[in-house]
Formats: sequence, structure tokens, C-alpha cells
Amino acid sequence: MADDKDVLRDVWFGRIPTCFTLNQDEVTEREAEPYYLLLPRVSYLTLVTDKVKKHFLKVMKADDVEEMWFEYEGTPLKWHYPIGVLFDFHASNTVLPWSITVHFKNFPDRDLLHCPSSSVVEAHFMSCIKEADALKHKGQVINDMQKKDHKQLWMGLQNDKFDQFWAMNRKLMECSTEEGGFRYIPFRIYQTMIERPFIQKLFRPVSPEGTVHSLGDLLKEVYPAALPSDGKQKHFQVVIHGIEPLLETPLQWLSEHLSHPDNFLHICITPVPSD
Amino acid sequence: MNLSVLDEQKFHYCCQLLVQQSQQLKDGWCWETVTSSDEGYLKKIIVRTVVIGSRLMWNHESSRTSSSFHQKQEDQMCETENLNAEADGDDEDDGLCTFSESRSLVLQYEYHIVYSYSYSTPVLYFRAFSLEGRSVSLEDMWRSVHPSLRLSLQKNRLSTISLQEHPLLGQPFFMLHPCRTEEFMRPVLQDQLRPMNYVLVWLSVVGPLVGLDVPLKYSTQLHLPG
Repeated sequence: MADDKDVLRDVWFGRIPTCFTLNQDEVTEREAEPYYLLLPRVSYLTLVTDKVKKHFLKVMKADDVEEMWFEYEGTPLKWHYPIGVLFDFHASNTVLPWSITVHFKNFPDRDLLHCPSSSVVEAHFMSCIKEADALKHKGQVINDMQKKDHKQLWMGLQNDKFDQFWAMNRKLMECSTEEGGFRYIPFRIYQTMIERPFIQKLFRPVSPEGTVHSLGDLLKEVYPAALPSDGKQKHFQVVIHGIEPLLETPLQWLSEHLSHPDNFLHICITPVPSD
Repeated sequence: MNLSVLDEQKFHYCCQLLVQQSQQLKDGWCWETVTSSDEGYLKKIIVRTVVIGSRLMWNHESSRTSSSFHQKQEDQMCETENLNAEADGDDEDDGLCTFSESRSLVLQYEYHIVYSYSYSTPVLYFRAFSLEGRSVSLEDMWRSVHPSLRLSLQKNRLSTISLQEHPLLGQPFFMLHPCRTEEFMRPVLQDQLRPMNYVLVWLSVVGPLVGLDVPLKYSTQLHLPG
């Protein structure tokens, strides 16, 4: 078990070296230097980019500044997905640092949610945890917590305090041994084949016959296109936190150890790089 | 069978019935499917005039009581073609428009009912645009909530209406949070004497909160079979 605790730490402290560049159409008083930052995989863009904003505002006139938003190769980045998910889905297999373009004009409000303050991130984060617990324990664990416990989860994430967060999150990850897992596994699958943001269905960690479900079983059920057909070349990578877990890995274990702080297991299906 | 829990199949069935009734009542609900998927959602588009006072804005429609009048005046459709029909139908409206500084604004509201696997309930998503295509902000959306409901809702602001990603379209929509739905629907559906359409009953509770009225005729029509 000691090893498994290390997994939680490794996931929490995952970082992505990132280079922020100002969109060239922004009006500046002098040239804007790029800004480099190590982004925590488990956090949210709008939560960790205060410094980026400050950096670029130094060269801009206040009149030219509207809500900040981010773009990667023409795609507006959804701040409400964890940073690691954005990277794995849009930019895995590219050269580091990850190059993100910063905008202060023309907010694409048909694509992105507004994020006027960190309280919006907090509300989003807590609503994800709530939803995940509705799947895992019919919401009983999160509803039994007090307001200060909810705050502890949020503050843990906001201030990057692993121990503070996990002291509380531990309760959300508990399940009775006789059931062998959660009621349903909170997961989201991101893919490019079907035109929708993600796939989310009901899936149990254990079959009615008592067989333990694996990552491969989940994909076979909800997104079989991701799996290689027998003897054929692999077309897709199944990526969680930047790695490709074995398809035989039990889903319950993945849910307990590789979920993001929002308590969802975010799975990215991306094409195998051609070179 | 646990009557207060709505599975996906039952949701689809309820929606199907609601669309049938809506067609008879010309109430504008239709079923939209998502490309290359077996999932979908109920959709209704309404064009209506809202009044923005200095600090006040609510819609005229929700203050009316007669649903037949409502039917005639409100232009409801699933197609977006004849959107301008309502634009000048609201001029000599009721006596609410008493603010000298207020102005009326024509907005197109789009309501979606989507099934939530996590909560086993329907969820109401909606958005609004001006006729020039500008989207309405969360603040303005709050102003369009009827004043008598606004205060009690806003006390619990973050858990009621918020801007969220539409789970099937990936675009920003306002959402009425579903986490209390099962709670308030339970007593309604434990009444086994009368078979009821879960989605319709639920809609009649949450719809009026955001200006979406459910005509009484849905309930005075024949009830669903079996």
C-alpha cells in the first residue's frame, strides 16, 4: 500500500512546462516577452495564471483589456477541464514547453465559460466532486461533510496542499470491501471521433457475476473504437495523467488513484503519432 | 420498481410522450438527436420580450395567468426561421411596464432538457440571445428571474443557476442544478394512484423559475397510457 500512496503524490505533483505568448493581434505599448510557468496538471488554468495576467498587463493599455482566455493552435482552451486533461487531449506528443497563446479580446463566449473570479472555479470544482460522489456513494459522503470540510478540499487544491486535500478526499475514496468498489465509476472519456465534449455513462467497477472490471472492459463497453482490433496496428493511445496505463488495470484502482481532485477519472483517447 | 428514480429508458419514453402532447398543443417542444450517437435532448425555442428597468427586468409572460392567452401571444417554435414574429407583438402589453426609464428587449430563449446519468434526473439547460446574436450574461439572466423568486433562489446562488458546459453540445449554457431534484420529485412520484409523466411534472416545477411556463392543458389532456 505504501507504493500506492506514492502514486497519489506523483499524480498531485505532476507539472507541465508551459510557455505563454501574447496573441499578436493584441495592442501593446511595447513588445510582450513570453512567460514561462510550470503548470500543475491537477489544477485549472484560470486558477494558476494570475502571474501570466500580471506579466502581460504591464505592456497593455487598460482600455484594451477584457477577460483573459487561452488558446492552443486555434482551439480555445476550456478552463473548467483540469490542465493535464487539456494537455493530454490537445498537445500530447508535441515538443515541450507547451505553447499557449493568451488573449484579452474577443472572448469566444459560444465556446468558453466565463470565469470572472476564483469563486467560479470553486463552484465548478465542488459541483464536480458532488456529481462524482452521487455516482460513487449516492452523494452520501459529500452531503455528510460539513461546509468547512468542503472548504478544506477546495483550499487544498487552490494552495497546492497535498496533505490538506487528501486528509479529506480520503473519505470520498472509501468504499465497503464487500461491494468491492464504488457504486459507479465517475469517469469522462475525451475523444475526437464523436462530436461531443466527452462520453460519460454508468459503469460499475465489478460485474454482476463478481468479475473485476478493467480499463479495457470500460472501453469495450462505452468506446470500443479506442481498442486495437486483433492483430491490427494500434491507432489510439489511452492516456491518463500523461501515461498509458495497462488496459488490464482494475478500474476501481484507477478511480482511487488516478482520478483528478474533482474525483473524476479523465481518460483521453488520442491518435498514435504517425512518426 | 423504484418510481422516484428515472432511468435513461424511462426518460426517453417520457420525452416522447411530452413531444406528442406538445405537438397537439402546439407548445414547441421537439426531440434533437446528437450526431453519431443514440443520445438526445428535448428542445424548445421561445422569443419573448423582457423589460429591463434601471435595476429590474422580468418577462411579461410569466406574470400572466391565462394559458390560452399565453399560447396566442408567445411565439414558440423549434425552427429558428420566423424569429421576428414576436418582436412587435408585445407593445401594448399589460400594465407592468411602468418604469419610464425601462426599455424592452427581444430575446430568443433556448431551453434544453438533458438526461443526467449521475443524478438519474432530467436537467434544464438554457441560453438566451438578443436578436443580434449577443449572448445574455449570468447577471442579466438573474434579472430575468421573477422578482418574487429571485431572492430565495439567490441566497443559494451557486447551487441553483450557473453557467455550465452543455454535456452533449460542449457549449456554455445556464443550468439549474439537479442535486435537489430527486428530493422534491420523490413525493410526487410516490403517488401511484395517478400515472404521471415524470419529465412533465418536473418541468412544471422548475420551468417557471426561469420563465418557462407549462400550460395546464398538458395535465387536463388524457393521461399517459398505463
